Amino acid sequence: MNLGHGGNGQSIVLSGEMYKSISEVLSELSSKTRARTIIFSDMNGHPITQRGTSADINISNMSALAAGGFSATAEIAKLIGEKKQFKFIFHEGDNHNVYFSNVGDNFLLIIIFNSQTALGMIRIYTKRAIDALNDLIYNAKDDVQQAAQFVDIDFNKYLNEELDKAFKF
Amino acid sequence: MFINWAQQEITLKIVYYGPGLSGKTTNLHYIYNNINPSLRSDLITLNTQEDRTLFFDFLQLEFGKILGKKPRFNLYTVPGQVYYKQSRKIILSGVDGIVFVADSQVERMDDNLDTLLDLEKNLISIGRTLKSFPLVLQFNKWDLHNIHDPDTLQERLNFYQVPCFKSVATEGVGVFETLKAIINQVINQIH
Repeated sequence: MNLGHGGNGQSIVLSGEMYKSISEVLSELSSKTRARTIIFSDMNGHPITQRGTSADINISNMSALAAGGFSATAEIAKLIGEKKQFKFIFHEGDNHNVYFSNVGDNFLLIIIFNSQTALGMIRIYTKRAIDALNDLIYNAKDDVQQAAQFVDIDFNKYLNEELDKAFKF
Repeated sequence: MFINWAQQEITLKIVYYGPGLSGKTTNLHYIYNNINPSLRSDLITLNTQEDRTLFFDFLQLEFGKILGKKPRFNLYTVPGQVYYKQSRKIILSGVDGIVFVADSQVERMDDNLDTLLDLEKNLISIGRTLKSFPLVLQFNKWDLHNIHDPDTLQERLNFYQVPCFKSVATEGVGVFETLKAIINQVINQIH
């Protein structure tokens, strides 16, 4: 497991076991809040997993935009003299609201919910989920499954064949 | 780079960097319009009212399973205008490879050099350096008349002898060659 370096330009490698544990926390949060969609992403905009209805939302685009927006507001926090980034960002729409909160320095939780749902309830259950996720990340043991083992030597050759087909070389 | 072992997915981030109006967004537009739509996401563009890049453009490419693994490439551009320095720094977070899109016109050489310096400073601030980073140069606007010769561009911009491509991004010349080269560099870096 290597979860500690996502925010500074390094890699994040997520083991199968950690993925399962994170998914369980999100399932619990989803059932408690009945949010429309919940996305767990890294601060670089890579979506990790999601819960709820997501068929009509492009998760990759949502994560990229959310990470960009959250990073921009972190810079605003610095400009006004805050020592840490803002704890959450809330967008209120006519029909849906979006609640963004960081999980440690490297991860982001995005919750999209009906505007009729009480914000206080979202905040309480999200805080519990964030505590659970932080515990998971903090207690993660080093994993020998590193990036180099993920792609073998022939990967590039086959990828190039796919690229040539896609680009009609 | 993000690797999800459970899902057998690897996601890599490639950033198109360069001075304002050098053709970064045009590269992404050409890729978006000329690749099988099933292999790409929608193109997100965050523009100013004058249609210049305000924050970033984003396009995701996904090539299906290769040896059981699912590679994804997230392509970003940065805003080139000097004014948006802080935004460029934010977008470089987690970057795996850089395409530097230079404007080949004679009068833009100083802008190219300033932006390369800005890139190097930003990489150093995240603990990396251009010298050891996956990088491809693209000499764009090759169809214009008032441009530097290739030797001058190489000598003044290609400090680390990285792959470079002449391009006319508006017509797609050199666009896919550049992308393929940076993808290869990024994957090779993993081994």
